[in-house]
Amino acid sequence: MRPARLRWLLVPLVVLPLAWLLFTGLGRDPRLIPSPLVGKPMPAFAGATLDGDRFSSTELAGKPAVVNFWGSYCIPSCVDEHPVLLDLVARHGDDLRMVGVLVNDTPDGARGFLARYGQVSWPNVLNADASISIDYGVTGPPETFFVDARGIVLARHVGPLTPAVVAEQLAALGIEP
Amino acid sequence: MRRVALPIAVAALLALGGLVALELLRPAGEPTPPEQARQIAGELRCPDCQALSVAESQTAAAAAIRRQIVEQLAAGQAPAQVRAYFVARYGDWILLEPSSPFAWWAPPAVVLLGIGAFALWLRRGRGEVPPIETAPNPGAQDRIREEVEQLDA
Repeated sequence: MRPARLRWLLVPLVVLPLAWLLFTGLGRDPRLIPSPLVGKPMPAFAGATLDGDRFSSTELAGKPAVVNFWGSYCIPSCVDEHPVLLDLVARHGDDLRMVGVLVNDTPDGARGFLARYGQVSWPNVLNADASISIDYGVTGPPETFFVDARGIVLARHVGPLTPAVVAEQLAALGIEP
Repeated sequence: MRRVALPIAVAALLALGGLVALELLRPAGEPTPPEQARQIAGELRCPDCQALSVAESQTAAAAAIRRQIVEQLAAGQAPAQVRAYFVARYGDWILLEPSSPFAWWAPPAVVLLGIGAFALWLRRGRGEVPPIETAPNPGAQDRIREEVEQLDA
Protein backbone atom coordinates (compact mmCIF):
# COMPACT_ATOMS: atom_id res chain seq x y z
CA MET A 1 0.00 0.00 0.00
CA ARG A 2 1.25 3.51 -0.80
CA PRO A 3 2.45 5.68 2.10
CA ALA A 4 -0.15 8.35 1.22
CA ARG A 5 -2.95 5.82 1.76
CA LEU A 6 -1.34 4.59 4.97
CA ARG A 7 -1.46 8.16 6.23
CA TRP A 8 -5.26 8.19 5.93
CA LEU A 9 -5.35 5.10 8.14
CA LEU A 10 -3.95 7.29 10.92
CA VAL A 11 -7.23 9.23 11.08
CA PRO A 12 -9.42 6.28 12.23
CA LEU A 13 -6.54 5.02 14.36
CA VAL A 14 -6.63 8.28 16.33
CA VAL A 15 -10.32 9.17 16.11
CA LEU A 16 -11.82 5.77 16.95
CA PRO A 17 -10.03 5.26 20.30
CA LEU A 18 -10.90 8.85 21.30
CA ALA A 19 -14.56 8.31 20.35
CA TRP A 20 -14.58 5.03 22.29
CA LEU A 21 -13.14 6.76 25.39
CA LEU A 22 -15.75 9.52 25.12
CA PHE A 23 -18.71 7.18 24.78
CA THR A 24 -17.62 4.81 27.54
CA GLY A 25 -17.02 7.84 29.79
CA LEU A 26 -20.50 9.22 29.10
CA GLY A 27 -22.07 5.86 29.84
CA ARG A 28 -20.61 5.61 33.35
CA ASP A 29 -22.76 6.29 36.39
CA PRO A 30 -21.31 9.41 38.05
CA ARG A 31 -22.84 8.32 41.36
CA LEU A 32 -20.65 5.23 41.46
CA ILE A 33 -17.49 7.03 42.52
CA PRO A 34 -14.63 4.59 42.95
CA SER A 35 -13.55 4.15 46.52
CA PRO A 36 -10.26 2.63 47.67
CA LEU A 37 -12.35 0.71 50.20
CA VAL A 38 -14.18 -1.37 47.59
CA GLY A 39 -12.93 -4.95 47.80
CA LYS A 40 -11.40 -4.35 51.23
CA PRO A 41 -12.66 -5.05 54.76
CA MET A 42 -14.96 -2.33 56.03
CA PRO A 43 -13.31 0.05 58.50
CA ALA A 44 -14.39 -0.83 62.02
CA PHE A 45 -16.13 1.82 64.06
CA ALA A 46 -17.99 2.27 67.31
CA GLY A 47 -19.78 5.07 69.04
CA ALA A 48 -22.83 6.43 70.79
CA THR A 49 -26.14 6.33 68.95
CA LEU A 50 -29.08 8.73 68.75
CA ASP A 51 -30.97 6.50 71.19
CA GLY A 52 -28.22 6.79 73.77
CA ASP A 53 -26.92 3.26 73.22
CA ARG A 54 -23.50 2.14 72.04
CA PHE A 55 -22.95 0.59 68.63
CA SER A 56 -20.01 -1.34 67.31
CA SER A 57 -19.56 -2.39 63.69
CA THR A 58 -18.78 -5.89 64.97
CA GLU A 59 -22.58 -6.19 65.34
CA LEU A 60 -22.80 -6.18 61.55
CA ALA A 61 -20.79 -9.39 61.18
CA GLY A 62 -22.34 -12.43 59.57
CA LYS A 63 -24.91 -10.70 57.36
CA PRO A 64 -24.73 -8.24 54.48
CA ALA A 65 -24.77 -4.68 55.75
CA VAL A 66 -25.71 -1.24 54.54
CA VAL A 67 -23.87 1.73 56.07
CA ASN A 68 -25.68 4.97 55.30
CA PHE A 69 -24.07 8.37 55.94
CA TRP A 70 -26.62 11.17 56.25
CA GLY A 71 -27.45 14.48 57.88
CA SER A 72 -30.65 16.36 58.68
CA TYR A 73 -29.45 19.39 56.67
CA CYS A 74 -29.00 17.23 53.57
CA ILE A 75 -32.13 18.33 51.73
CA PRO A 76 -33.58 17.15 49.43
CA SER A 77 -31.21 14.19 48.87
CA CYS A 78 -31.53 12.60 52.33
CA VAL A 79 -35.26 13.29 52.35
CA ASP A 80 -35.61 11.65 48.93
CA GLU A 81 -33.80 8.48 49.96
CA HIS A 82 -35.44 8.15 53.38
CA PRO A 83 -38.51 6.21 52.12
CA VAL A 84 -36.17 4.01 50.05
CA LEU A 85 -34.24 3.11 53.21
CA LEU A 86 -37.45 2.50 55.17
CA ASP A 87 -38.71 0.23 52.39
CA LEU A 88 -35.37 -1.59 52.17
CA VAL A 89 -35.43 -2.47 55.87
CA ALA A 90 -39.16 -3.27 55.86
CA ARG A 91 -38.69 -5.82 53.09
CA HIS A 92 -35.18 -7.12 53.76
CA GLY A 93 -34.58 -6.39 57.44
CA ASP A 94 -34.12 -10.11 58.09
CA ASP A 95 -31.56 -10.53 55.33
CA LEU A 96 -29.28 -7.60 56.10
CA ARG A 97 -28.20 -5.21 58.81
CA MET A 98 -28.55 -1.48 58.48
CA VAL A 99 -26.74 1.32 60.30
CA GLY A 100 -26.84 5.06 59.84
CA VAL A 101 -23.92 7.40 60.55
CA LEU A 102 -24.48 11.12 61.07
CA VAL A 103 -22.25 13.51 59.14
CA ASN A 104 -21.61 16.91 60.75
CA ASP A 105 -24.98 16.85 62.42
CA THR A 106 -26.34 17.40 65.91
CA PRO A 107 -28.43 14.76 67.71
CA ASP A 108 -31.32 17.22 67.94
CA GLY A 109 -31.17 17.94 64.22
CA ALA A 110 -31.18 14.23 63.40
CA ARG A 111 -34.05 13.51 65.79
CA GLY A 112 -36.07 16.32 64.23
CA PHE A 113 -35.46 14.87 60.77
CA LEU A 114 -36.65 11.41 61.84
CA ALA A 115 -39.69 12.82 63.61
CA ARG A 116 -40.67 14.62 60.43
CA TYR A 117 -39.83 12.05 57.76
CA GLY A 118 -40.25 8.75 59.60
CA GLN A 119 -38.71 7.00 62.58
CA VAL A 120 -36.26 4.21 61.83
CA SER A 121 -35.59 0.87 63.47
CA TRP A 122 -31.84 0.86 62.88
CA PRO A 123 -29.11 2.49 64.98
CA ASN A 124 -27.66 5.86 64.00
CA VAL A 125 -24.15 6.58 65.21
CA LEU A 126 -23.41 10.20 66.18
CA ASN A 127 -19.87 10.43 64.69
CA ALA A 128 -19.28 13.74 66.46
CA ASP A 129 -15.57 13.92 65.64
CA ALA A 130 -16.16 12.90 62.00
CA SER A 131 -13.63 10.09 62.37
CA ILE A 132 -16.02 7.53 60.82
CA SER A 133 -16.67 9.82 57.83
CA ILE A 134 -12.91 10.19 57.31
CA ASP A 135 -12.32 6.43 57.66
CA TYR A 136 -14.89 5.84 54.91
CA GLY A 137 -13.67 8.72 52.73
CA VAL A 138 -17.10 10.35 52.77
CA THR A 139 -17.27 13.53 50.70
CA GLY A 140 -20.79 14.55 51.68
CA PRO A 141 -24.11 12.99 52.61
CA PRO A 142 -25.87 10.96 51.52
CA GLU A 143 -23.35 8.21 50.82
CA THR A 144 -24.02 4.53 51.23
CA PHE A 145 -21.68 1.57 51.46
CA PHE A 146 -22.82 -1.96 50.72
CA VAL A 147 -20.90 -4.61 52.64
CA ASP A 148 -21.13 -8.36 52.15
CA ALA A 149 -21.53 -10.97 54.87
CA ARG A 150 -17.74 -11.36 55.14
CA GLY A 151 -17.37 -7.66 55.92
CA ILE A 152 -15.94 -6.75 52.50
CA VAL A 153 -17.06 -3.45 50.98
CA LEU A 154 -18.82 -4.25 47.69
CA ALA A 155 -19.86 -0.79 46.54
CA ARG A 156 -20.12 2.85 47.43
CA HIS A 157 -23.03 4.98 46.23
CA VAL A 158 -22.80 8.76 46.34
CA GLY A 159 -26.12 10.60 46.37
CA PRO A 160 -29.65 9.52 47.26
CA LEU A 161 -30.45 5.84 46.98
CA THR A 162 -33.14 4.91 44.49
CA PRO A 163 -35.12 1.65 44.24
CA ALA A 164 -33.10 0.76 41.13
CA VAL A 165 -29.77 1.21 42.91
CA VAL A 166 -31.01 -0.77 45.90
CA ALA A 167 -32.21 -3.62 43.66
CA GLU A 168 -28.86 -3.74 41.87
CA GLN A 169 -26.87 -3.76 45.10
CA LEU A 170 -29.15 -6.33 46.75
CA ALA A 171 -28.54 -8.64 43.81
CA ALA A 172 -24.78 -8.11 44.22
CA LEU A 173 -25.16 -9.03 47.89
CA GLY A 174 -26.99 -12.21 46.95
CA ILE A 175 -30.38 -11.02 48.23
CA GLU A 176 -33.46 -11.43 46.07
CA PRO A 177 -34.67 -7.83 45.45
CA MET B 1 34.35 61.12 42.18
CA ARG B 2 33.69 58.68 39.35
CA ARG B 3 36.84 56.76 40.21
CA VAL B 4 35.47 56.06 43.68
CA ALA B 5 31.79 55.55 42.78
CA LEU B 6 32.31 52.73 40.29
CA PRO B 7 34.28 50.39 42.59
CA ILE B 8 31.82 51.10 45.41
CA ALA B 9 28.86 50.23 43.14
CA VAL B 10 30.56 47.03 41.97
CA ALA B 11 31.43 46.05 45.52
CA ALA B 12 27.84 46.73 46.64
CA LEU B 13 26.44 44.63 43.81
CA LEU B 14 28.85 41.79 44.60
CA ALA B 15 27.90 41.92 48.27
CA LEU B 16 24.21 41.88 47.40
CA GLY B 17 24.70 38.95 45.03
CA GLY B 18 26.63 37.10 47.72
CA LEU B 19 23.85 37.62 50.24
CA VAL B 20 21.23 36.40 47.80
CA ALA B 21 23.34 33.34 46.97
CA LEU B 22 23.86 32.59 50.66
CA GLU B 23 20.13 32.83 51.31
CA LEU B 24 19.34 30.58 48.36
CA LEU B 25 21.96 28.00 49.26
CA ARG B 26 21.16 27.99 52.99
CA PRO B 27 19.89 24.53 53.95
CA ALA B 28 16.26 24.69 54.98
CA GLY B 29 15.70 23.87 58.63
CA GLU B 30 13.55 20.95 59.72
CA PRO B 31 9.91 22.15 59.70
CA THR B 32 8.17 22.13 63.06
CA PRO B 33 5.10 19.87 63.53
CA PRO B 34 2.67 22.82 63.13
CA GLU B 35 4.44 23.76 59.87
CA GLN B 36 4.26 20.14 58.71
CA ALA B 37 0.56 20.00 59.60
CA ARG B 38 -0.13 23.21 57.65
CA GLN B 39 1.82 21.89 54.66
CA ILE B 40 -0.05 18.55 54.60
CA ALA B 41 -3.41 20.30 55.06
CA GLY B 42 -2.51 22.54 52.12
CA GLU B 43 -1.89 19.48 49.93
CA LEU B 44 -5.20 17.77 50.73
CA ARG B 45 -8.50 18.57 49.02
CA CYS B 46 -11.37 19.61 51.26
CA PRO B 47 -13.81 16.64 50.88
CA ASP B 48 -17.03 18.64 51.00
CA CYS B 49 -16.18 21.84 49.18
CA GLN B 50 -14.88 22.79 45.76
CA ALA B 51 -11.36 23.86 44.82
CA LEU B 52 -10.28 24.44 48.40
CA SER B 53 -7.62 22.72 50.41
CA VAL B 54 -8.19 21.35 53.88
CA ALA B 55 -6.02 24.22 55.16
CA GLU B 56 -8.23 26.86 53.54
CA SER B 57 -11.67 25.40 54.22
CA GLN B 58 -13.79 26.15 57.28
CA THR B 59 -16.10 23.13 56.93
CA ALA B 60 -16.43 20.62 59.75
CA ALA B 61 -14.93 17.85 57.60
CA ALA B 62 -11.83 19.95 56.85
CA ALA B 63 -11.50 20.82 60.53
CA ALA B 64 -11.74 17.12 61.42
CA ILE B 65 -9.02 16.25 58.91
CA ARG B 66 -6.79 19.05 60.23
CA ARG B 67 -7.28 17.67 63.73
CA GLN B 68 -6.37 14.15 62.60
CA ILE B 69 -3.24 15.44 60.84
CA VAL B 70 -2.07 17.12 64.05
CA GLU B 71 -2.87 14.01 66.10
CA GLN B 72 -1.06 11.67 63.73
CA LEU B 73 2.06 13.88 63.57
CA ALA B 74 2.03 14.12 67.37
CA ALA B 75 1.83 10.31 67.49
CA GLY B 76 5.11 10.14 65.55
CA GLN B 77 3.78 9.50 62.03
CA ALA B 78 5.91 10.85 59.18
CA PRO B 79 4.24 13.35 56.80
CA ALA B 80 4.29 10.73 54.03
CA GLN B 81 2.47 8.27 56.28
CA VAL B 82 -0.15 10.90 57.12
CA ARG B 83 -0.73 11.61 53.41
CA ALA B 84 -0.93 7.87 52.70
CA TYR B 85 -3.53 7.50 55.47
CA PHE B 86 -5.90 9.90 53.70
CA VAL B 87 -5.15 8.52 50.22
CA ALA B 88 -6.05 5.03 51.49
CA ARG B 89 -9.49 6.34 52.47
CA TYR B 90 -10.33 8.90 49.79
CA GLY B 91 -8.10 7.71 46.95
CA ASP B 92 -5.71 9.93 44.95
CA TRP B 93 -8.65 12.32 44.59
CA ILE B 94 -7.81 13.78 48.00
CA LEU B 95 -4.44 15.06 46.74
CA LEU B 96 -4.65 18.52 45.17
CA GLU B 97 -1.60 17.77 43.05
CA PRO B 98 -1.14 14.45 41.25
CA SER B 99 1.36 12.17 42.91
CA SER B 100 2.57 10.54 39.70
CA PRO B 101 5.27 12.46 37.76
CA PHE B 102 3.67 11.05 34.60
CA ALA B 103 0.68 13.36 35.13
CA TRP B 104 3.02 16.37 34.96
CA TRP B 105 5.02 15.28 31.93
CA ALA B 106 2.30 13.68 29.83
CA PRO B 107 0.44 16.86 28.70
CA PRO B 108 3.53 18.79 27.45
CA ALA B 109 4.87 15.56 25.90
CA VAL B 110 1.62 15.06 23.99
CA VAL B 111 1.65 18.71 22.84
CA LEU B 112 5.26 18.39 21.65
CA LEU B 113 4.45 15.15 19.85
CA GLY B 114 1.50 16.86 18.17
CA ILE B 115 3.64 19.81 17.06
CA GLY B 116 6.27 17.40 15.75
CA ALA B 117 3.70 15.37 13.85
CA PHE B 118 2.17 18.53 12.39
CA ALA B 119 5.59 19.84 11.29
CA LEU B 120 6.34 16.47 9.68
CA TRP B 121 3.00 16.53 7.90
CA LEU B 122 3.67 20.05 6.60
CA ARG B 123 7.11 19.07 5.29
CA ARG B 124 5.83 15.94 3.57
CA GLY B 125 2.86 17.82 2.13
CA ARG B 126 5.19 20.43 0.65
CA GLY B 127 7.29 17.70 -0.98
CA GLU B 128 4.24 16.33 -2.79
CA VAL B 129 3.38 19.60 -4.54
CA PRO B 130 3.90 18.96 -8.31
CA PRO B 131 6.94 20.81 -9.62
CA ILE B 132 6.19 23.93 -11.64
CA GLU B 133 7.11 23.57 -15.28
CA THR B 134 9.91 25.99 -15.92
CA ALA B 135 9.58 25.99 -19.69
CA PRO B 136 6.14 26.29 -21.30
CA ASN B 137 5.48 23.87 -24.07
CA PRO B 138 6.35 25.02 -27.60
CA GLY B 139 2.71 25.31 -28.74
CA ALA B 140 1.86 27.63 -25.88
CA GLN B 141 4.93 29.75 -26.55
CA ASP B 142 3.85 30.24 -30.17
CA ARG B 143 0.31 31.14 -29.14
CA ILE B 144 1.55 33.70 -26.60
CA ARG B 145 3.82 35.26 -29.17
CA GLU B 146 0.91 35.53 -31.65
CA GLU B 147 -1.38 37.10 -29.08
CA VAL B 148 1.27 39.64 -28.07
CA GLU B 149 1.83 40.56 -31.71
CA GLN B 150 -1.93 41.03 -32.17
CA LEU B 151 -2.00 43.32 -29.16
CA ASP B 152 0.91 45.36 -30.47
CA ALA B 153 -0.68 45.68 -33.93
